[in-house]
Amino acid sequence: MLMRILGKSLARRRGRIAIAIVSVVMGAAVATALMAVSMDIEEQVSAEFRQYGANLIVVPQSDTIDVGFPGVDFGSVTEQGYIEEADLWKIKRISWRNNVLGFAPFLYQVVSAKSASATSNLVMAGTYFERDVAIEDTYAPEDPGVVTTGISYINPLWRAKGKWIEAPDDEASAMVGTEVASKMNVGIGDMMTLTYIPNGDDRANSTSCDVTIVGIVETGGNEDNQVFVNLQVAQGMSGREGKVHTVQVSALCTGCPVDTFAQEIEGEIDYVEARTVKQLVSAEMATLENFEAMMAMVTVVAMAASILGVTTTMTTSVIERRKEIGLMKSLGAERGRITTLFLIEAAVIGVIGGIIGFLVGVFLARMIGLSVFDTAVATNIILLPVAIGVSVAVAVLASIPPVRRAMQVEPAVVLRGE
Amino acid sequence: MSDVAISTSGVRKVYDGGTVALDGVSIDLMDGEWTSIVGPSGSGKTTLLNILSCLDSPTDGQVDIEGTAVTGMRQDRLTRFRKEHIGLVFQQYHLVSYLTALENVMMAQYFHSKVDGAAAEAALEEVGLGHRKLHLPSQLSGGEQQRVCIARALVNEPSILLADEPTGNLDQENGRNVLELIGKLQEQGMTVIMVTHNPDIAAMGDRTIEIIDGKVSSDHRTKDV
Repeated sequence: MLMRILGKSLARRRGRIAIAIVSVVMGAAVATALMAVSMDIEEQVSAEFRQYGANLIVVPQSDTIDVGFPGVDFGSVTEQGYIEEADLWKIKRISWRNNVLGFAPFLYQVVSAKSASATSNLVMAGTYFERDVAIEDTYAPEDPGVVTTGISYINPLWRAKGKWIEAPDDEASAMVGTEVASKMNVGIGDMMTLTYIPNGDDRANSTSCDVTIVGIVETGGNEDNQVFVNLQVAQGMSGREGKVHTVQVSALCTGCPVDTFAQEIEGEIDYVEARTVKQLVSAEMATLENFEAMMAMVTVVAMAASILGVTTTMTTSVIERRKEIGLMKSLGAERGRITTLFLIEAAVIGVIGGIIGFLVGVFLARMIGLSVFDTAVATNIILLPVAIGVSVAVAVLASIPPVRRAMQVEPAVVLRGE
Repeated sequence: MSDVAISTSGVRKVYDGGTVALDGVSIDLMDGEWTSIVGPSGSGKTTLLNILSCLDSPTDGQVDIEGTAVTGMRQDRLTRFRKEHIGLVFQQYHLVSYLTALENVMMAQYFHSKVDGAAAEAALEEVGLGHRKLHLPSQLSGGEQQRVCIARALVNEPSILLADEPTGNLDQENGRNVLELIGKLQEQGMTVIMVTHNPDIAAMGDRTIEIIDGKVSSDHRTKDV
């Protein structure tokens, strides 16, 4: 009977109920859009974090020289710097050394690659796959003198078909990214010739090596377009013995500031800069934080408008239905029954408003994603029950003052036959 | 000798602003009797009916209904007491416009205890409206609406029927039908208390109490018991 009263009552007052639903839709749509954008963009940023694998990048400090005449600025040139391979052990000499899970140096150069069926320029990265590094001067006497490290330690999430290059002295094997394998039309076991031409065109001094592909790497990032060889292969081909461009460091940092790791590494190797990956995606994070702050404010305003809208509508409804409420009371409806009737009505408004608000919010999130972050935002379906829950809470909360008003209706007064 | 259905003692009602609506009303209404309460507009007869039906509370005095002192009861308890003992018939029917005749009767069952469709239909049959059960109030004549109102008052089998000008909005024929129905209910043992300003209708009851300026002005039997 309750549902029959409720259904017919709602149907009869559908115009007014529609206004209340629109009020709820506003709040639910903005809240859904905020949550959808936040969740999706954060997920995308997290994915970027994961692509790095490491959470610290060590690069050499670069000297930037301004070029031009007094008063005429031609810009600046930056000299390419290197990190000495011989200094890498110092990364394990910081006070947080036990939290450093591993590190891997990288030396990059563009090489000409030739397979049986294709030729192309590629980025070759020389690195440690799995290597024992001697700690020349340990931080504490009990620290081990040798640590094993390499990209297989810092990038456990990389998916590799075939196998990793295990032997540190293996100069005849290479791993390639999936894009390289596809572009060069090569698979595991195939040969490829890598040629380094100094300065881009100094073919007389070019160096080559033949490598067998032992593994194919897929990370979803830049690595998919690179060829990986043991560090000394890259150093030997380019004549940069003992040099590396960057070092990726994987620091286990639950409850400790990763910025401290960076400072300590810079203290141990005084010519490097250590940047956290968080800093590298700071622009996106800052945009997201600003967006979240703005949307939070808009959500609060929209929610307040929703509450106001529902309260006004429900209050009008109570005033219009004073006789009906009085009649119900005269027929024996206790306070609980009447409260239940109005709160279920509010909940129905909340559920309908929440569902429509969710759909509008999905559309809003897409628009915001495309216009602010230049990316398509995917909405998690988990937000649907959240939107409904929030909307029901808003509608019920907004109905409390009108319900109190309904409680004060005196049947003797409203049913008076005079 | 009949038992006392409702007893009031020194009932006084003063509204906010100091208007005295009832001033020391003491009456005993007998079980199974039809008592008519008459008086001019503003005399306090509707206030008295509201107090007897537990819709309002007196400022002073005592009201006992079927042996239970209802004065000072908390609102929810008073509501429960009312739905157990009293059926109400209003001058303006007060049917819910979006519910059918049957649903209006069932609503009273819902707020009383539980809905019983067959009993609700039987109540409508009893007032001669079985064939109009699926009609909305707007599709019924005034007399039919009043009969739905009576069916709604009867469906929970109260022992007392309180009616406030039940024929006030009806033409003569419909008014006579409604009064015959009420008379039949009294014959079945129901205590009837009816407010009216029409002396002819009042004379159909067993007893007439006249209220003037909030006081019992006269109390006489119109029929021998």
